[in-house]
Amino acid sequence: MADASGSFREHSIAEFFKKNRQMLGFSGKVRSLTTLVHEFVTNSLDACEEAGILPDILVQIEQHPDGHVVLTIEDNGPGLPKKLVAKALGQMLAGTKFHRFMQQRGQQGIGASGAVMYSQITTGKPVYFKTGLGDGKAYEGELSIDFKANKPIVANDRDVEENYRGLKVVAIFGDVKYDRSEYSPFEYVKRTALANPHAQIRFIEPTGERVLFPRASELVPGRPAEIQPHPLGITVHDLLEYAGATQEKKLSVFLVNAFSRFSQGKAAEVKSEYAKIVKERDSEALETDAEDAAERVMGLAPRALKWEEAERLVESFKRLKWVAPETDALRPIGPEQVEKALKNIFNPEFTSVTERRPKVFRGGIPFMVEAAIAYGGNSGCRKADGGTSGVIMRFANRVPLLFDAGGCAITSAVKGMDWKRYDIRDFDNEPVSVFVNLVSVHVPYTGAGKQAISDEEEVVEEVRLAVMDAARRMQLFLHGRLRERNREVKKKAILRYIPQFAQDLVSLSGKGNAKKLQERLTSIVESKYSQLTLGEAEEEADASANCAPEKPGGKAGKAENGNGEDEEE
Amino acid sequence: MAAATERKPALGKLESLGAKMVGEVERGDSPTFDTALRSKSNILYDEAIGCLRLGPNTESRTFVNVAQAKKFMQTVAVASRCKKFLEEDAHASIRGLFYQLKYSLGEEFDEELFSEQEESNPLIEDLEVALKLKREDLNLNTDRKGVVAGSMVLMDKFGGEKTEIDCAKQGRSGWMVPSDVDNGMDFVSVDADWVLVVEKDALWQRLNEDKFWKKENCILVTPKGQASRGCRRLIRKLANRKLPVIVFTDNDAWGWYIYWAIKTGSINLAYLANDIATPEARFIGMTMQDLKDYDFLNKLTIKAKDVDVKRAEEMLAYPWIARHKEWVVELKAVIKSRRKIEQDALQGQRLSFVGEYLREKMGKKKFLP
Repeated sequence: MADASGSFREHSIAEFFKKNRQMLGFSGKVRSLTTLVHEFVTNSLDACEEAGILPDILVQIEQHPDGHVVLTIEDNGPGLPKKLVAKALGQMLAGTKFHRFMQQRGQQGIGASGAVMYSQITTGKPVYFKTGLGDGKAYEGELSIDFKANKPIVANDRDVEENYRGLKVVAIFGDVKYDRSEYSPFEYVKRTALANPHAQIRFIEPTGERVLFPRASELVPGRPAEIQPHPLGITVHDLLEYAGATQEKKLSVFLVNAFSRFSQGKAAEVKSEYAKIVKERDSEALETDAEDAAERVMGLAPRALKWEEAERLVESFKRLKWVAPETDALRPIGPEQVEKALKNIFNPEFTSVTERRPKVFRGGIPFMVEAAIAYGGNSGCRKADGGTSGVIMRFANRVPLLFDAGGCAITSAVKGMDWKRYDIRDFDNEPVSVFVNLVSVHVPYTGAGKQAISDEEEVVEEVRLAVMDAARRMQLFLHGRLRERNREVKKKAILRYIPQFAQDLVSLSGKGNAKKLQERLTSIVESKYSQLTLGEAEEEADASANCAPEKPGGKAGKAENGNGEDEEE
Repeated sequence: MAAATERKPALGKLESLGAKMVGEVERGDSPTFDTALRSKSNILYDEAIGCLRLGPNTESRTFVNVAQAKKFMQTVAVASRCKKFLEEDAHASIRGLFYQLKYSLGEEFDEELFSEQEESNPLIEDLEVALKLKREDLNLNTDRKGVVAGSMVLMDKFGGEKTEIDCAKQGRSGWMVPSDVDNGMDFVSVDADWVLVVEKDALWQRLNEDKFWKKENCILVTPKGQASRGCRRLIRKLANRKLPVIVFTDNDAWGWYIYWAIKTGSINLAYLANDIATPEARFIGMTMQDLKDYDFLNKLTIKAKDVDVKRAEEMLAYPWIARHKEWVVELKAVIKSRRKIEQDALQGQRLSFVGEYLREKMGKKKFLP
């Protein structure tokens, strides 16, 4: 991003955009439209969240006979003050801060201004907007961008006497296409609704068909806070980089101020650990030499820190026990919310949700993984042949990742699981939806397209553990259902033999009445298999019979996470 | 001497099996069927009787069990059909029975009562064991095999007619042993002194032409290879009349096994136990010892095949054979030399030498147990 903003000043923004449209998510006609929807919907959600408003968003897509597509997005958010409208919608990278440790949705794409620009490039038309703060006055107009100056231009604007709150944008685009594929705005909106159960989204397709994704929860997520990096997981390179940028004069002060969970006491511990490391690595060093070395490093100007010293510091961080990273900055959707959303959208037979505890990856960046599985109902994805395929729904900070699935660590973690162990015989042929939300202040995307998560070891492992945990509970459900079904199959298998059997029994014994015997036998079979339903099977009993599917939910997930796997705190 | 109209015991057994099951159903229980386990683990050699029989293990089947329901229904279907045969005094082969029961269970099911004969065959054996009777008692025919000549007269009541059969007056062809020698088949008189069982039909024809059975007053039987159920049963019945039974086979594992099947019964038919085995039977030849006693035979041996050797090794492993040291010596000799000698070789010098050989060995009582 630093490079990108630099080049804006020297080149025509339109030219830059044209050259880099792939990188910005505008490759392919369907994907471009999805990206446009994303830009506006994300802004709406963020705005509502910040204002504590339950979002109500309209997304309408119309097809013009000339091939252009009209996109209308309207929200019930706080609206934009008149003087901020142009800047918020029309200026590239306005307000984006580099190195800001905060969880944000809008890390993808280039924001609303990119959409305005796309409209201008493909159709030459400005974007209509209307906004109001709900104070009796509304403001509408048309917006375009002066590429050379990277400045927004507002035209035909006027005040309207109307008690309007929110923001409405109507833009017309060329070089886009609407369909209902898995990369379409439809799928994007559906998944957005899934990850934002507090939002209600109305979607109107070009055919006029209206789809409502109703609100599943009345809870507006709180705003995430900015936080500092955690000492665990930080690399030598990161440490040197932060040390070079700080204003602090003394390394020990820098450490305490720049890092999360770094107290004065911890600084002292680091110092003595540092001395130990010096001693270990140089057997001839005197104890006093080592202590002197540690003393000296802690007193250094951060900028003067050398690689070798930084390396010893990072090593000493790793040897010490730390309080887990603060999670205030992380805003997971929450197990209850995820479950509500899944039930709302998929009407599944079974859901299972897991929320892992926060961890850090490279550079002390906190993250956490939420995973869920929905089975049955409308879960999975309808295939052309009428079957249903398993679907992996990837999210980063609640934003659906629709593209580049193949290169994503979430995909490989989920696909790499031995699904047969969880009674999913063939993932590509089962009505199952796997939901994974990676929550972090800095999502490790593979590229500027920001549609795939890179192979961070800690992240992959957490995704795996989370999905496995959810899958375990689903397996119990499936197993129970399978047994139920088997029981039904068994009963039917026996029942079908009764007419022949009764008839032969009468002719063999020379007595009895076939019809009566038949009724009698039927009731014997029925009563045996209804007893089995109560779990009192003798011969059918197997090892897992006593594991009734437990109630899905975050509590169970958390409790399980408590054993074993999270040793480092 | 039962009259044809007399009620057959098998009918009563079938009916009470059915009545027991009906009773269970009326009490609200799943019908059950108990039968002795016919697996190899439950086959033992009964030293007291000298034959193979089933051990004490039984299995109980129940209708209301998904793994057993179909088999259970099928068993009752077989029993019911056999009852019909008995009532109509008609006989069927086990293949005929299978075709009688090969029909769909109903339009809505893609399933037949029986689809393969392999399904019905073992159920017949189950019924034989459970009801303690033979399939012949259920009017099920087996393949006829075996030919008899000798001073013996039988009365065959069949198809409502009675026919007297004099086995001494069957010319060159002899009397063919039917599948059932119990039901509707009675001895009128047996004037012969002993029974000679000859493995091969060719040798039987030789001895018949030579009037051996007339001269030696024996009943000359050939099972034509492995003895059929009817043939074994006939031998057993003759032994019941105190006639010594002497068996004459090739000097190879196959021939010897024919002898042992007659003597102790076979593993497959262990459930028929002493109904079909003749532990009193003695073996006259051919033996490896014959090669020493009759020098010309040495030139007439042929190479033993792998199956012969394998069979010999198996027989050595059967405790009821291995306990006879004479047999261990014979079997080991075959395995070692990988040679064998056929009955037919005795005709090598003179056709009529077969009779001389038998007379000499009979006279010297050169038998193997």
